[in-house]
Formats: sequence, C-alpha cells, structure tokens
Amino acid sequence: MKARSRVLLGLDVVTLLVMAAATYMVFIYAPVERTMGLVQKVFYFHVAAGWTGMLGFLAAVVAGIAYLATRKSSWDLVGLGAIEIGLVFALINIITGSIWARPIWNTWWTWDPRLTTATIMELVYAAYLMLRQGIEDPERRARFGAVYAIVGFISVPLTFFSIRIYRTIHPVVIGGGDPTVSGSFSMTPAMGATFGVALVAFSFLFASLLWHRIRLGQLGAQVEQLKLKLMH
Amino acid sequence: METTPANTLGYFIAGYTVIFGTMLVYLVSLVVRHRNLMQEKRMLEDLEKEKK
Amino acid sequence: MSAFLRAMGAVVWKDLAAELRSRELISSMLVFALLVILIFNFALELDASARANVTSGVLWVTFVFAGTLGLNRSLAIEKDRGCLDGLLLAPVDRTAIYFGKAAANLVFILVVAAIVLPVYSVLYNTNLFAQPGVLLVILLGAEGYTAVGTLLATMAVQTRTRDILLPILLFPVVIPVLVAAVKATSGYLQALPLDEIRPWLNLLVTYDLVFTAAAFMVFEYVVEE
Repeated sequence: MKARSRVLLGLDVVTLLVMAAATYMVFIYAPVERTMGLVQKVFYFHVAAGWTGMLGFLAAVVAGIAYLATRKSSWDLVGLGAIEIGLVFALINIITGSIWARPIWNTWWTWDPRLTTATIMELVYAAYLMLRQGIEDPERRARFGAVYAIVGFISVPLTFFSIRIYRTIHPVVIGGGDPTVSGSFSMTPAMGATFGVALVAFSFLFASLLWHRIRLGQLGAQVEQLKLKLMH
Repeated sequence: METTPANTLGYFIAGYTVIFGTMLVYLVSLVVRHRNLMQEKRMLEDLEKEKK
Repeated sequence: MSAFLRAMGAVVWKDLAAELRSRELISSMLVFALLVILIFNFALELDASARANVTSGVLWVTFVFAGTLGLNRSLAIEKDRGCLDGLLLAPVDRTAIYFGKAAANLVFILVVAAIVLPVYSVLYNTNLFAQPGVLLVILLGAEGYTAVGTLLATMAVQTRTRDILLPILLFPVVIPVLVAAVKATSGYLQALPLDEIRPWLNLLVTYDLVFTAAAFMVFEYVVEE
C-alpha cells in the first residue's frame, strides 16, 4: 500500500510537469496560425480533452466487461471513475469546440456529426450516472452500470454514422485531405510537437485522475461498509 | 499574399479559461468528496468504539 | 433449439393472451399515439405543404413515445406481479425469455403502427400505404427499438426511479434508429430513388443486428437475482 501511494505521488508529479510543459508549448512555443489567429491554439487542448473523454469511455466499457466476467467490485469503481472523468473532459471538448467555432464558422453550434455525437455521448453517460443513482443495492448497481456502459458504447459509432451520412463541415486536421473545409489548417512541425505533448500530458492526467477517483471510490465503499456494520 | 491573423485573443482566453476552470472544479470536487468521506469515516469509527 | 423456441413462444403467447384479455397496454399506447398526433397537428400547423416534410418525423416520434409507454408497462407488470421472478425460476434459457418479451413488445408496436398509419392517412388525406417500403422501414425500426428497449426497460423497472428512467436511458442510444427510420420513411414517401434510401436501410439493419446480438448477450446479467 505504501509503495503504491508513492507510485501515485510520482505519477502526480510527472503529470504536473507534462501538463506544465504542454501549457508552455501551447501558450509560448507554438506559432500563431496565419488566418485564424490565437483561437487556433484552443485546438491542442480541445482535441486532447476529447481524447481523454474517449479514453474514459473506452476504459469504462473494458471495466464493464471485466466486471461482468469477474464480479470484482474494484472493476465497478474503475468503470464509474472512468465515466465520470470522461464526462468532464468530453464536456471541456464540446465547450471549447463551440468557442473555437464562433469566430471560425461564425456560429456557436452546428449539427455536425462530431459535435452531435459528442453531445449525445455526453447524454448517454449522464444517463449512466442517473441509472446508478436509482439503485441502492451496490451489486445490482455495478451490474446494471456495466451493462449500460457496454450498450452505450456500442451505440456511439452508430450514432456517428447516422449523422455522418449528412455532409460534415468539421475539419479533419489529421489525415484529412480536404482543404476546402472552413477552419482546416496544416500543422507545422512546431504545432505537431505541441499537439503530441498535449496528448501525452492529457493521457497522464487521465491516468492520475482515474487512480485518485478509484481511491475515492474505495474510501466510499469502506464508509458504506462501516455504516452497514453499525446498523446491525 | 501575407494576411494578418484574425484577432481572436478573446476566444483564446475564453477557451483556456473553460479548460482549466472545468479541470479545477473537478479537482476541487474530488478533494471535497474525499474530505467528506474521511469525516464520515472518522465519525462512524467513533460510533463503533462507543458501541463496544 | 426447439426447447428454446418453445420457451420463447410460451412467453410471447403469455403476453399476447394477457393483452387480449385486458387490452390495457395496446389501448393506452394507441390513445397516447393519437394524442401525440393531435398535439403535433396544432403545434406544427400540419397543413398540406408542411406535412410532406414532417410526416415521417411525426410518425416516428409518435411510435417512439408510445413505445416507451408500452415497454415500461410491459416490464413493470412482470416485475409487480412477481412474474419476472417466476419466469426466471422456470428451467428455461434466460435469453428465450428476452426474445419472447422483445417479440411481444414488437407485436404491440406493430399493432399500434397498423392502426396509426390508416388513421393518419384518413386524417390528412394521404396514402401512407402507397409505398410498401414504408412498412419495411417500420418493421426494421421497430425491431431495433424493441431490441434495446426491452433490455433497458428490464433494467429500468428494477430501479427506484423507474417511471422516469426508461426514456432517459433509451432515447440517447436509439438516436441512430430514429434518424435512419425518419430519413428512410420520408425517402419512400417522397418516392426517392432506392440509391438514396439504401444507406439508411443498411444502417437500420446494422443497428438491428448489433443491438439484438448485444442485448442477447447481456440480458442474463440484468435479470439475475
């Protein structure tokens, strides 16, 4: 236990350092984009936050399957933590996207596949939290949570394709070949480096937050047990 | 054909305020929940001792 | 396999027989569906020009809302009368129970659709049956909807907040069905070439397959006690 919390502390320190480095690169090192100006810099943490959100939802579906297979309550804590963190970062992703869209697309919001899918995903996982709130028995809560995490995750790509069949105006910066989409730009090496560091930083941030969230969940479970013991 | 970048400083600041603000709110929520649980745990442990 | 089909058939038959006796499920779904259409009529000013574009949307919103009502009721009855526990004690495959319930719910929605379509046709002086493709879309859409809906309703009725939970759980994951069904229906109603409708049909079939399989695999985890 002692060794483990020292590893966690180490992870926290590394996370802080990489986050500081990523922030420095975004603010100072990365060049200002030629046409969009400073707002383009929102892109780095916008995509990184979306990445963290997806990591969270992916981790939750893995934890859900693992829970159903093993019935270890620790998997449930992983799933819940991952979804909570995923929700926070997906929200950051949506709001920053909206802030970027205002000057570039001249609107806060469009019904583009990615925006719409991101929002529906946010609703799916908000529903996950509401489902859990409605169940008192911890075992059933974990079981239903795992099932819904799986069902919700499967629906995401289908939602995306259903809206994709309309035309998209969202720029595909990585690997996208269509320069006519408004707001797209090609990354200079300095931009690419900044982007890479931001992704790494947010991955560390995700790992460290998830670990803390799991420990919080374990503490919560201990308190629950104490309560039950006192009642009898 | 050198164009000056659009002045989008306000949106840049708004974006990063949201990013760091939301992360801060989440961190604070973790800390607060941790503190409440610790308090509850201590209280319950005291109750348990009294019971014995 | 035949034992599986027999068990599934028994569940379907039980639901249909109970419904024939009480008629409470279909009648409430039906009245609700007609009320939704009525409300849309006034909310959207469904005159001839507006109708052409929104008919499929109105129909699908009606089916989805009425379907939620039916799903919730269908599983709540099982839960309240202890039938769910009884069924689970029966020595049959749990997934046979799932397919039985899903099939019965599908029948209920199709019955509602079978009444709503002619009524809508009469009320608005159109013929929704002119394109048989519409019926295919309704069948595919309703299958996907009940496949997920039956699974989620089984979970929802076992929670404290069951009356409000089902739509919240169900709507975000059935959006692909709704989008595809609305677009395919309006494609058929406007007699578009099949090429423009096919992507939506493909999406519907994919959704049906994926979610029927997924629900089939996880159903046993939502009914164990």
